[in-house]
Amino acid sequence: MNGFLAFLGKEFREIFRTWRIWVIPGITVFFALTGPVLARFTPEIVGSLMAGQSAGVTIELPDPTYVDAYLQWTKNLSQIVLFAVIIVCGGLISAEKKAGTASIVLTKPLSRSSFVLAKFIAASALLIASSLIGALLTWGVTYAVFDEAPFAELARATGVWLVFALLFVAFLELLSASMDSQSAAVGLGFGAYALLGIGALWEPALRYSPCGLLGAPTEIVTGAAESVLWPVVASLVLAFALVALAVAIFRCREL
Amino acid sequence: MTAAIETRGLVKTYGEKRALDGLDLDVPEGSVFGFLGPNGAGKTTTLRILSGLSHPTSGEARIYGRDVVSATNETRTDIGYLPDVPGFYDWMTAVEYMHFTGSLFGIDRKTLVARTETLLGFAGLAGVHTRIGGYSRGMKQRLGVAQALVSAPKLLMLDEPTSALDPIGRKQLLDMIASLRGRTTVFFSTHVLSDIERVCDRVAILNAGRVVKSGPIEELRARHGATRLVLEVAGPAAALAERVGSEPWATDVAPGEEGMLSIATSDVGRARQVLPALIAELGLGLVRFETAEVSLEEVFVDLVGGEGL
Repeated sequence: MNGFLAFLGKEFREIFRTWRIWVIPGITVFFALTGPVLARFTPEIVGSLMAGQSAGVTIELPDPTYVDAYLQWTKNLSQIVLFAVIIVCGGLISAEKKAGTASIVLTKPLSRSSFVLAKFIAASALLIASSLIGALLTWGVTYAVFDEAPFAELARATGVWLVFALLFVAFLELLSASMDSQSAAVGLGFGAYALLGIGALWEPALRYSPCGLLGAPTEIVTGAAESVLWPVVASLVLAFALVALAVAIFRCREL
Repeated sequence: MTAAIETRGLVKTYGEKRALDGLDLDVPEGSVFGFLGPNGAGKTTTLRILSGLSHPTSGEARIYGRDVVSATNETRTDIGYLPDVPGFYDWMTAVEYMHFTGSLFGIDRKTLVARTETLLGFAGLAGVHTRIGGYSRGMKQRLGVAQALVSAPKLLMLDEPTSALDPIGRKQLLDMIASLRGRTTVFFSTHVLSDIERVCDRVAILNAGRVVKSGPIEELRARHGATRLVLEVAGPAAALAERVGSEPWATDVAPGEEGMLSIATSDVGRARQVLPALIAELGLGLVRFETAEVSLEEVFVDLVGGEGL
């Protein structure tokens, strides 16, 4: 237990002392601050662009609302932030193996299971904290810009996305524990994202598997969402299984 | 007494390559044990298996009687390990790294602070507050030795510990290893023969994945191969060298400058009887006749055929 807590402490210190603090937290905060403002001024921006190019044609855009701000947030989470998660987590374990740091710490009283679990917990905590701060900022800026910002649906959309992202953290950890190449793990991560997108076209997969979480945050914001209980439960169970498999594989690997 | 390290029939294959080919090794507790072999002999593979980083294909490896494959934290608590190319968290300072590795063992803060100060002083890194990312290879090697000692381990395993050190750093490290004799079992690999001769009391010579010779250094010198005789004669030594070379007890004859002759013999008694007669027969005067100590290098070269030197 000593080894696990000490290593977990190292993981958290590493987040704050290296580039890791700037990537996912930086991206979420940036989109949280700019999304509502962009949503508010999109009609004016589009209007000014069209004015110079299509003489005689008038495009009427509806007045923006807090829903547009929330949609900006969920779209950014589902694409750019998730891609950043895939890239960062692709080297979660393999980077330590490649740098030779794992070769020292794993000869001390730190089991390989603790090593993998501490990595998952620290990465998940970073993701949870980043999305929580991002959601709060989105809510605050949206309220400031639109005078209206219901918190419940924003929290629900962010929470559902978080479950989906944690599934990817677990999957990338499994890949990183199984192979030495970070770029190969990242490539497979993007492949899994594409497969889930294709899977979402099949109704049973959409209802009962993680495929149902891909578009869920946006649907929650627009009020078009059906129950996401099964996809959430399936994703959490699958994430747990993937971490367990990562532990089992890493215990057998040569370092 | 339980052996600190014991391996039986240890085999490790990488595809077609057999890195270890039935390695049998016994490292007694309290010894300073040199693990000598040419490049590619299997030294690092052995150390990686013993430290739990790699798994054997077959055979047994035990540390203090406990199987290394199913090693628990209890086994790892007994070990201090330095890999051949140590990797560190570049964003940490040496003090932070020592505190981190010490905390993995659950060492209390007060002890850890005191031990860190002592070990970093020994490693020549006291007062260095820069991040490890800016260290030279030698500094990293010295930090690697310090971190291996942070838990005051019963067994210290070092893979080529002197390879990146300058002469002063090398001397300091070897002195430190010598100072651990009797308190900590030290098992270190190297292909530098002088390091072994300087500090080790026992040695195992490894070649092509097998231990070809193992034992106390003095016993190895005495038991293995030839004794070397050094002769100096008044007159040309070439004719004498030719005659000696045809004798069955002479295993190697090397003429030197100005009447010098170095003869390796498997029967020193017979050589002592015959050589004065040969010198007289050739009309040469005997200036010097002495027995030279066989160096570990000669034993090593003889056993592994000069590979890796």
